[in-house]
Amino acid sequence: MDVHLTLDTDTVAQVATSNPLCVKVGDSVRETLHAMKEKRRGAVLVCDGEKLAGIFTERDALKLMEPGADLDVSVGQVMTANPETIADSLTVGDAITKMSRGGFRRLPIVDPDGRPKGFVTVAGILHYLVGHFPAIVYNLPPNPHHTTQSREGA
Amino acid sequence: MIDCPYCGAENIPGIDDCEECGQPLSHVHGGGASNEVERALIKDRVHVLAPKQPCMVSPDVTVGEVLHQMATNRIGCVMIVDGGKPVGIFSERDALMKLNTEAATLSDRPISEFMTANPETLQDSAKIAFAVQRMDLGGYRHLPIVSGDDQLQGIISVRAILNYLTDRMTSAR
Repeated sequence: MDVHLTLDTDTVAQVATSNPLCVKVGDSVRETLHAMKEKRRGAVLVCDGEKLAGIFTERDALKLMEPGADLDVSVGQVMTANPETIADSLTVGDAITKMSRGGFRRLPIVDPDGRPKGFVTVAGILHYLVGHFPAIVYNLPPNPHHTTQSREGA
Repeated sequence: MIDCPYCGAENIPGIDDCEECGQPLSHVHGGGASNEVERALIKDRVHVLAPKQPCMVSPDVTVGEVLHQMATNRIGCVMIVDGGKPVGIFSERDALMKLNTEAATLSDRPISEFMTANPETLQDSAKIAFAVQRMDLGGYRHLPIVSGDDQLQGIISVRAILNYLTDRMTSAR
C-alpha cells in the first residue's frame, strides 16, 4: 500500500472525530465545562447559529481554573474566536501540513457554508497512519525488552 | 548479521525467531517491513525523538500550584516525580475531567490525589514502534521516557511521533 498516495487523496473527513460536541456562544463556561466532562471531550465547537464562531479547548479551560475566575461568563467571551479551520474537501496530507506549520493539536473541519463538521486531531492522524503499517505496530510483544528466561530445550 | 529489534541480540539473517529472546523476526528482514517508514520504526530508538525535559513536581505540591504553572507556562502536562522516578502524570485532560468547575475549591489538595498514578513509561532504548503502539492504543498524548533504572529522562509527545512519521514518509517519497 502506498501511504503517500492515500495521504494525497483521502480527505480529512476520513480522520475526523465523530460526533463533535457543539455549544452555543451564549452558553456559560460552567455549562460548557460540565458538558466536556460528561461527554469526555477535550475541545468543543462554539457555534453561532449554524456557523462556527470559535473553539474552546482544555487549554482555555485551564486558564479559568485559577482562583477568582468567573465561570458564569459566556463561552463566547473566552473562546478562541475565528480559529484556523480546514475545509472538508482537503486531504489528510493538507491537514498534517497545516497542523505542523501552525503547531495545532486539532483543527475544526468546516463545509463550504462554514458549518462545523468535526475535528481533525493529532491522535486521529496518528491512528490513520498506523492503519498503513498495522503489522509493525500491532504485532509487537507486550514489553520492548522482553526476554525468555531460558531457551527452549536448553 | 541482523540485530533483533527487541533484545538487540545478533541473529543469522533469515532466521524465523530471535535466538536470544524468541521474538519473531520475520518482519525484520523482508516479511512485514515493506518500506522505509516501517524499517525506521523498528530500527530507531525513542531517544532519536529527543525527549523533552518535562515540568516536574513532587507528589505533595498543591493542585493550585500545578494549575498555575501549567496555565502561565502553557504546559500540557506535568510529571509527578519521587526520588527521580515518575509516580504520576497530570495533564490538561486530568484538570478538565477531575477538577472541572471545582478547581478553585480543590486548590489546596495535593496533586497526588488527582494525578494518573503509575503512568505507562518506555525505556529510552526501546524502538519507536513501541512508542507509536503505546500512544495509539492507549490514546496517550505524552509518554514518559525512563532510563534502565526507572529514572525519568524526558517525555515525548504524540506530536513528536507524528513529526517523525511524516518526516520519514516525506524523505521516502
